[in-house]
Formats: sequence, structure tokens, C-alpha cells
Amino acid sequence: MKNNFVKLAGVLLIIGAVSAGVLAWLNDVTSDRIAQNEAMASMDPAILEAVMPGSVMFNDYEDTALVDTIKADNNKFINLLTAVDESGNELGKVIRTWSTVKGFNGDLELYVGFTPDGQISGTSVISHAETEGVGSKVTLLAFTEQFIGKDASGEISEGDYDAVSGATYSSKSFLSAVNNAINVYAEYVK
Amino acid sequence: MNKLEIFKNGVTTENPILVQQVGMCATLAITTSLINGIGMGVAVIAVLTGSNIVISLLRKFIPDEVRIPSFIIVIAAFTTIIDLLMHAYTFELYKALGVFIPLIVVNCIILARAEAFASKNSLSDSIIDGLGMGLGYLVAMILLSSVREILGNGTILGFRILPEAYEPMMMAIQPPGAFILLGLLIGIVNYLSRRKKA
Repeated sequence: MKNNFVKLAGVLLIIGAVSAGVLAWLNDVTSDRIAQNEAMASMDPAILEAVMPGSVMFNDYEDTALVDTIKADNNKFINLLTAVDESGNELGKVIRTWSTVKGFNGDLELYVGFTPDGQISGTSVISHAETEGVGSKVTLLAFTEQFIGKDASGEISEGDYDAVSGATYSSKSFLSAVNNAINVYAEYVK
Repeated sequence: MNKLEIFKNGVTTENPILVQQVGMCATLAITTSLINGIGMGVAVIAVLTGSNIVISLLRKFIPDEVRIPSFIIVIAAFTTIIDLLMHAYTFELYKALGVFIPLIVVNCIILARAEAFASKNSLSDSIIDGLGMGLGYLVAMILLSSVREILGNGTILGFRILPEAYEPMMMAIQPPGAFILLGLLIGIVNYLSRRKKA
């Protein structure tokens, strides 16, 4: 009986250890590429153009102490970036944030761009888990373009935008992310 | 049972979704568009064949008392392998399938084939069983997801095939529509297979 117990545990141990070894090796092989994919996905030229027309790069904001302060005060805020054009001129600020109101399947992650004169230059959804074909419509320009040119001095109220029909939760979640960015912009950046 | 029969079993007579009806939750959740259906189907073929191979090879080594935990470890390892490979090499698809890849671990089709087939049959038969069952799963996913994408969005693989004037049947890509359409699909398959027998 005791012998059998050792054998059973031993077999499980061997299978577990071999599996873990293979996975550790594969993780090692793929981790660089995965990190690169993730970085590329959030720096896609189409996304840059949608958030801040004319920009070729979003750089981390130089005042890292300020970014840390905002992070400490606002747990949905992710990062503050500076959008620059080809010759390195600053075009405006970009805020990366989660939504503060959940969508149909959790939070949305957005870039919201601001021109130096305090208008929204554009928005883009970086990640979401909304229903494909329904809630995912908030990622399309047909919905997001209505935010371009909006004044960023105060929150946009629910009466001031057109939600995607059939996707109220996703639309509200999107709006909450934009408003979170507006609040951060008004309080810390402007 | 010869090899061709094993293969045919998986695709038609014992199709995992349309006949055995196992592993339904991922099926219902993922089939909102054809590309998702195909991606999930291919991922399941890879995990199923991989786990069938390993379990068939280990069938003499694994004692009966601990076979289920052993199968689960092997299946989880293969799912993680697919997850990492997709994340690294097919990033777009990985983003679309999101949380469903890890869920392959608990997809009953894989454990069912490990328990019912691979642990009792030779390596070559197990590979064929994995491919056959996987292909059957893929076919069912393609059927269901194309119907749902056409009705619910008016497109197929993202291309519009119904005119703009078509008002998408929202329910088709929401969970209730998944149940109804899957039910209808199984009904049609049953009808056809019975008529063939008669």
C-alpha cells in the first residue's frame, strides 16, 4: 500500500516536472516576441494617427514624478505621453487610461489625445473585451470621431454624445474613460 | 476499427459538438464571428492531437488511480504551449480569442478523448482520433459561426455580403441567439442523418 502511494505520487511528480520544464523553456523562447507584439500593438501607426493626427511617436512624459503622482491619485490612469511629429516637435499630450465605468465585459483601455489649446484631438481603444460586432463598434471611427474637437475643460455629459445603439454599456464605458482622461488633463497637465 | 473509420467517426457519426454535444460553453461563447470559430477550431485540433499523442504514449506508465490528474496536467501544458505560441506568432488572432484559449483546458472534448480513446488505443489510432475529432469540432464551429456572423452582422470574415439596408439581427451574436441557432443546427443534422438511415 505504502509502496503504491509512493509510485502514484512519483508518476504525478514526473509528469508535472516535465510539463513545467517544457513550459519554462517555451516561455523563455517566446517572451521577447510577446513583449514586442504588445509594444507594437499600442504603437500602431493607425492608432497614433487616430489619436493625434500627424504624430509618429508617443514618448513618455519627461516629468516622471508628476506621472507617479497621478498614478497614486487615480487608479485607472495608466500613463501620460507626449505626441511628437517626424521632426520631433510636440503636437500635444496623450493620456492612456482605463474606463472608470465597466463596459459589458469589463474595462476599456483608451488613448485620449489633447491639443495644446485644450481640445480632444482623437481617441483610440487599445484593448477591450466587448461583444464582437456589437460593443466592439465603440472602437470604430464612426463612433469615436464625434469626440474630436470637443472642449476638454470639463467632463462630457451623457447628453452630449451619441451612444452606439444596442451597445449602451460599451458606449458609457468609453465615455467614462474619455472623462477620466479629461479630468487628469484638467487637473495636472493644463 | 480501421483508421478511416476512426477519422470519419470524429467528423460525422460522433461529431463532438453536433452529436456528442460536449464542450458547449466555449462553442457558444466564441462563435460570434467566423474568424473566431476557425481560430478556436484550429487551436483545439492542435491541443487535442498533442494531448492524445502524449497520453497514448504514457498510457502504460500512468497508473489508473491518478490518470485524471495526469491527463489534466498534460492538457494544461499543451494549452499553455498553444497560448504562448499564438501570443508570439499570431497576435491578431490571440487578441480576438482572448480568454478562450486558457479555457481549452476545461473543454470536455479533450479530456473525454483522453479518457475514452487515447488511454486505451495505440499511438497512430490516437493521432487519427485527435485529428478527426478536432476536424469535427472545427467544422461545427465554422457552420455555427458563419450563420451567426451573417445574421448578426451581415458580414462574412469581415466582408459585407448582405446589403447595408439589412438591419443586423443583434440576437444572433448574443448568447440567447447562440443557444437557439446551435439547437436548430443540431436539429437539422439529426433530421438529415435520420433520413439517410431510413
